[in-house]
Amino acid sequence: MSTLVARSDLNRSILHVYTIITWATVVIGVIVFAALGWILLRYRSRPAGGALPPQTRGHTLLEIAWTIAPALVLLVIAIPTLQVIFRTQQAVTPSGALQVTVRGYQWWWEFHYPTLDVLTANEVHIPVGRTIEFRLEGPDVIHSFFVPQLAAKRDVVPGRVNFITFTADQPGEYWGQCAEFCGLSHANMALRVIVDTPEDFERWVAAQRAPAVEPAGDAARGKEIYARSACVGCHTITGVSAGVLGPTLTHFGSRGTIAAGMWPNTPDNVAAWVRDPQGLKPGVKMPNLGLTPEQARDVAAYLSALK
Amino acid sequence: MTRAAYLRGWLTTVDHKRIGLLYLGSAIFFLLVGGLEALLIRAQLLQPNLALVSPDTYNALFTMHGTTMIFLAVMPLGNAFFNYMVPLMIGARDVAFPRLNALSYWIFLAGALLLNASWLVGTPPDAGWFGYANLTTRQFSAGPNVDFWMLSLQVLGVSSVIAAVNFIVTILNMRAPGMTLMRMPVFVWMTLVVQFLVALAFPPITVGLIFLMFDRFFGTHFYNVAAGGDLHLWQHLFWIFGHPEVYILILPAFGIVSEVLPTFSRKPLFGAPVVIYSGVLIGFFGFGVWSHHMFAAGMGPVADAAFAIATMLIAIPTGVKIFNWLATMWGGHLQPTVAFHYAAGLIALFTIGGLSGVMHASPPVDLQQHDTYFVVAHMHYVMIGGSLFGLFAGLYYWWPKMTGRLLDERLGKAQFWLLFAGFNVAFFPQHFLGAMGMPRRIYTYNEGAGWGLWNFVSTMGAFGIGLSVLLFLVIVARAMRAPAAAPADPWDGRTLEWRTSSPPPEHNFDVIPPVYSRDTFWREKYGDRHGRTPPPRPDPPHAGAHGIHLPSPSLWPVVVALGIGVAAAGALTHVAIVVLGVAVTFVGAFAFALEHHRNPAHARQDGNLDTDHRKLAMWVFLGSECFFFGTMIATYMAYRGRSVIGPYPEEILNIPLTTLSTFDLLMSSLLMVLALAAVQRGDRRQSRLWLAGTVFFGLIFLGFQAYEFIHFVHEGLTLQTNLFGSTFFVLTGFHGAHVTLGVAWLAALLVLDLRGQLTVADAPKVEIAGLYWHFVDIVWIAIFTLLYLIP
Repeated sequence: MSTLVARSDLNRSILHVYTIITWATVVIGVIVFAALGWILLRYRSRPAGGALPPQTRGHTLLEIAWTIAPALVLLVIAIPTLQVIFRTQQAVTPSGALQVTVRGYQWWWEFHYPTLDVLTANEVHIPVGRTIEFRLEGPDVIHSFFVPQLAAKRDVVPGRVNFITFTADQPGEYWGQCAEFCGLSHANMALRVIVDTPEDFERWVAAQRAPAVEPAGDAARGKEIYARSACVGCHTITGVSAGVLGPTLTHFGSRGTIAAGMWPNTPDNVAAWVRDPQGLKPGVKMPNLGLTPEQARDVAAYLSALK
Repeated sequence: MTRAAYLRGWLTTVDHKRIGLLYLGSAIFFLLVGGLEALLIRAQLLQPNLALVSPDTYNALFTMHGTTMIFLAVMPLGNAFFNYMVPLMIGARDVAFPRLNALSYWIFLAGALLLNASWLVGTPPDAGWFGYANLTTRQFSAGPNVDFWMLSLQVLGVSSVIAAVNFIVTILNMRAPGMTLMRMPVFVWMTLVVQFLVALAFPPITVGLIFLMFDRFFGTHFYNVAAGGDLHLWQHLFWIFGHPEVYILILPAFGIVSEVLPTFSRKPLFGAPVVIYSGVLIGFFGFGVWSHHMFAAGMGPVADAAFAIATMLIAIPTGVKIFNWLATMWGGHLQPTVAFHYAAGLIALFTIGGLSGVMHASPPVDLQQHDTYFVVAHMHYVMIGGSLFGLFAGLYYWWPKMTGRLLDERLGKAQFWLLFAGFNVAFFPQHFLGAMGMPRRIYTYNEGAGWGLWNFVSTMGAFGIGLSVLLFLVIVARAMRAPAAAPADPWDGRTLEWRTSSPPPEHNFDVIPPVYSRDTFWREKYGDRHGRTPPPRPDPPHAGAHGIHLPSPSLWPVVVALGIGVAAAGALTHVAIVVLGVAVTFVGAFAFALEHHRNPAHARQDGNLDTDHRKLAMWVFLGSECFFFGTMIATYMAYRGRSVIGPYPEEILNIPLTTLSTFDLLMSSLLMVLALAAVQRGDRRQSRLWLAGTVFFGLIFLGFQAYEFIHFVHEGLTLQTNLFGSTFFVLTGFHGAHVTLGVAWLAALLVLDLRGQLTVADAPKVEIAGLYWHFVDIVWIAIFTLLYLIP
């Protein structure tokens, strides 16, 4: 989550300004501290009685100087700031950009690729080297989409549309998290951005567009349990259920984490989750379904099989 | 004195010094409450995945910590010094409106108790001190938690605005002879700037809270996205208040430091006029930078750029102050008292907070720092390193004046160093946490994030701060057990408060002190720059407390505040209690207003500006009202055309009829002018006629409005119908409420007149009622033009 590591063109622009300002402030800080320290040591504890120190009331030239000096430093900061503002917030979408709609829900993320007809949740894949346009929309309360190393941050505001445009530099997995307080489980609203090579990205898109796999064994029992419980009201698994209130599960098994980045996606974690989501993620909309441990294991086996 | 008489003395006091002590005691109490909340927050974050408190408790803790520290600790600490010190420093016997001063305090206490009552009933506010809509709407915050927050903030706002009006009038109108504006101590100057900020910045948030209250209680749509509401509205209203609020919190500290440093450097403040102007400039710019809190909200590049530049500009006057303070110490004979330690500490720590503020003045950088712990670090460097250090400097500096007892310097230094170290250990690492991407307001974090170490360190520092505050209490307790033996002028001070005893007599000064220059008391002692001391002024023959008119105690402030508190609490429980509270408020207000009606000592209240205190107060209040109605009208304009369903304005507004009612209201202003003229020349027959006429025309206007509202409801437009209905009814309804209040006020004057109790000497009372009445009419012209005439 470091904000000082830049892995996209956007963040390199930001880091450029960040560096200039940091040095400018450090220099000013050192000057002020040196002056303060020197004054405190030099003029400390003269006896209270006796002659008064010179009763200086002011010095116009000096005061003009220390009004202008910070103004000049601010100019050094302001120019690159304005350049980056206008460079990174352009009104038109760059041609060839891949559009991804980001929707922030209490407390998970949905990603929709309108041109690729792919819908996924909490983990978004993008190709390296291609310009990405995240289109931020909010269906419930305000969230903030914060991926420090790639996309910095932009609020997700219901009723408004915000954009983040950037091009990732190198493949890898990057963490992000909701940065605007959005209610009870604000702390449990992480996400991951996976930057793939173009080939990997193509493979991932093809896999996401494929229908859900048909399970066997434990997983088949899990599917039966899934299909006759309340799960179907909120979740989509193509060919099985079409709920829209919760994240899509069609390719749940292909994700690395569950519950918006809370735990690794292992069958044990998934089993624990489906047994007691209310206990594991405060305020979560998913109810406890009253599954037995065996049923939970079967459902977990099914979901994990949905690669 | 019996216990009852003692209690009654405090309940009915109108002495600015006792009210200052009430603020001081309350502020220290709530500082402890807010501090305890902070320690619980830090304890929860000590390590990854701790479950010391539940997530909902955690959210309540940071909400209440922020709200408490800002509104119930730091602001009232400032108020304690304004109350106690400003009249002394300008050579006055009290504030302009002693009973209003008491009213401010008791309303503050009512709001503070209401807010914290939420803990006792188990539903503390939990949507953040900034309460971003729409998380605060009924849909996403169903319980009474947010209700407690929005109601008590409104109550606290009333208290603040009343105090602001009072202090502006006091400072402008009650200075001792010779105390020109530029001879005023810098602390008084900063108080003046702060009070203007309060008077003008609180109306926007009050309007925002009223919208929220109507959304939550009456189903309006101000923050309802589905009905066309825009969630940026709240953010703008909140930060138009919220940023000036930062200066409301920091400028008193700057004022204190500007008094403490010269005293303990034994030198005048370097470039005092520049320090004053820069303070005024900071206050002025403070209104133009609010959107730097919204760089991530998506305002577009032009707004981002404009607010970035404005924000950077504000760093210039702030920097100037730092340099002037350094130059004040340069070449001085520094007396390392505890107060001086705190003032120097402020320079160091505020510099860090100011510089990190410059970093996120740059929107691109802010996109990384916003809502991370970097900002938490920044604002605590400003609020603790700045405000609280300045206030501690004031506590050590003025404690002997306020209580007659010096605080222990040796223990005080230990307390300073413990706070200084604890603070830096607690908050400097939060810069690192922010750089490492840790978001604010998360109740827990995973081990893998790597935030554990610095959170642990930060929590250790926080407990250091807690220890230091405890040590301060010990120091205070030890001092208060000793007899009140502090000399009048323990620090060889420069300003007038040191010219009277510690603590001062009830009437402050036997003789209003002469003012020769800035630092006038110093000049009396040491002479001007050529060493010439002014000739001592002979005391007038009646020197002493005899013959000095002092305001008499009054119970009505407590009654009015109680009524307001009951009404607000009633909104959480039952409408009957609201009615009861409002009734108590009204009865109390009338009794308050008439308490000194026939008191000859109150007939003339002229001051330095050759203006009656009451008239000046009304002008200031109307300035505040301009921002109130301006905000409401601006919201109407911003929401125009955003309703998703009808009826729409053009289908329903009746322009001919409203033209008539507008004409009627304008004519009432004419009658008001005639009424005032009649009162001023003592023409009882005409004054009754024109007062009655004004009241009558006012009632006709209200009749028109009632007819219009009923007609609209029949046409299918209510508060809940659409955005147009919400904005229209709330704006015109609040205007109608103002007209109603004006009618009640004028009717009361009319009754006095009919009973033969309105004489020429009462003309100022009619004049201020008239000012209010004309203002309400002018607002209506704006409403009529913008809502009805412009399609």
